[in-house]
Amino acid sequence: MSEALSLYVARPSRVHQLHPLTKLALAGFMLVGGLLLPGPWGLYIFWALVTLPLAFLGRILNQLVIATLRVAFPFALSVFLIQGFLWTGGTPLFRVGPLSLKQEGLAFAIASTGRILMVVSSFLWFALTTRPDQLMATLSQRGFPAGLSYMIVATLQIVPRFQARANAILDAQRSRGLETEGNLRRRLKALLPLVIPLVLSSLIDVEERALAIETRGFNRPGQKTNLIVIPEAPWEPAARIGILICAVLVVGLGLWLR
Amino acid sequence: MLYWLSAWVCGSGKTLNEIISLQQVTYTYPGTSTPAIKNISLAIPAGQFCAIVGGNGAGKSTLAYTIAGFVPHFYHGTLQGEVSVAGIKTSSTPIHDLVSLVGLVFQNPFNQISGTKFTVREEIAFGMENLGIPRDEMAARCEAMMALVDINELAERFPLGLSGGQMQRVVIASILAMQPQILVLDEPTSQLDPIGSREVLAAIRQLSSQHQMTVLIIEHKLEWLAAYADRIIALAEGTIIADGSPSDVLSDETVWERGVGLTRYTLAARQARAEGRWPAGLKLPVTLEEAIESFQAAR
Repeated sequence: MSEALSLYVARPSRVHQLHPLTKLALAGFMLVGGLLLPGPWGLYIFWALVTLPLAFLGRILNQLVIATLRVAFPFALSVFLIQGFLWTGGTPLFRVGPLSLKQEGLAFAIASTGRILMVVSSFLWFALTTRPDQLMATLSQRGFPAGLSYMIVATLQIVPRFQARANAILDAQRSRGLETEGNLRRRLKALLPLVIPLVLSSLIDVEERALAIETRGFNRPGQKTNLIVIPEAPWEPAARIGILICAVLVVGLGLWLR
Repeated sequence: MLYWLSAWVCGSGKTLNEIISLQQVTYTYPGTSTPAIKNISLAIPAGQFCAIVGGNGAGKSTLAYTIAGFVPHFYHGTLQGEVSVAGIKTSSTPIHDLVSLVGLVFQNPFNQISGTKFTVREEIAFGMENLGIPRDEMAARCEAMMALVDINELAERFPLGLSGGQMQRVVIASILAMQPQILVLDEPTSQLDPIGSREVLAAIRQLSSQHQMTVLIIEHKLEWLAAYADRIIALAEGTIIADGSPSDVLSDETVWERGVGLTRYTLAARQARAEGRWPAGLKLPVTLEEAIESFQAAR
């Protein structure tokens, strides 16, 4: 698994044992719940009371927090500086030279950072605890077009191979004397002999890959089967409905409090 | 396991004498003017282990794709003549119905890994899943095929992280798991080391004789073919230049010169003949056994 390009972290946890659809429902609940709660701090309370405990249950709290902060921090910083100081009107909290930190700008920045936090962590929580192949099998069993799920999963898998090929072409052209370092003009000149073989060989690959999935009967109409059993506890379908009801209630609550 | 093995034998039990039949087949790829294969007529009986040899551009792969139905279904272009496998005309049968009849393994194993599966076991099951095979039987076939090509220890590995040779074994296992009556292999050992090649070829040969599976293999390892193939078809410039037993085809001088090459045993005998130490009328050997015998006779 480690060689695969996926965020999945294998852990013996209750969350990992859940059916992918149940996790998808939970992630969706976190997303709408988090986004619709009013006030600058509602999101953070929701995050601390729902997302973090769920991540803790999935034994991926560290990975989730680190990855979320890595994505959210640059955004948070820019939003604080821009909205906090450049907010027109509003109540100034304190001055730094010609600029002043506005209370309303600050509140806006806190709320938008919370939203990013929520979107990123809901997605990460799902991705960290769900095997992509199980997700694909689930989707195809539920009538999701096989071609579409193939596109999503296969594309992610092929990225490392594509990178390896790009490096091979770079090495091959360098060994034949192509200069790839130096000033901008030289680098631009080197781009064409690198891009053309990469694109052409990838196109040839696409044809072979299409041939390959045909040899395995991918386009055969009719019922497909799955080797892997996706475990699902008997209470999970009911739980999913419960989660959806909760999500609707949270949406209602959010709209009412607004 | 016995259950599916017997099912397989019974499935292919209707012994059609000619399982592959080509009648005056000419095929031109789209965008080209010269045909890749010209006027090929061929009949292959069920259960035969048949090799295709020839130089670059001789039309070997095209012939393989034609028998598997990818010509004309996948490559389009113009196909003349008639191709039928197990009594079914390939030109009028969709490719997804042909795949359970004819399995195709092509040269580059990297591109034949589906890219959607995260373990070798699931990768082998991919074709069977598409055919709608029940789970228990899939699991049994997966284990049997992994044992056959000796990759049991790779079962939980990520398929795209394997070496070329390992991938080649996975690809062969995944096609065999679909239990085709005919197996078409286009240089299946290109990524394998000599020992690995022998192992894989021996496994395919064994399957072919045990289960009456017809095998059509494009392979350059002439010494191996000379010893194990039932029949060799030599191609050059899109036409059949020789067709017969390995000893007849590989000892034919007109065949060597047209891109096929010759075995090391034939090479040694040819050298002896050039030095005037080979009795006139003694056939040139193509296998080790023949070489020992005829060199002793020539002494």
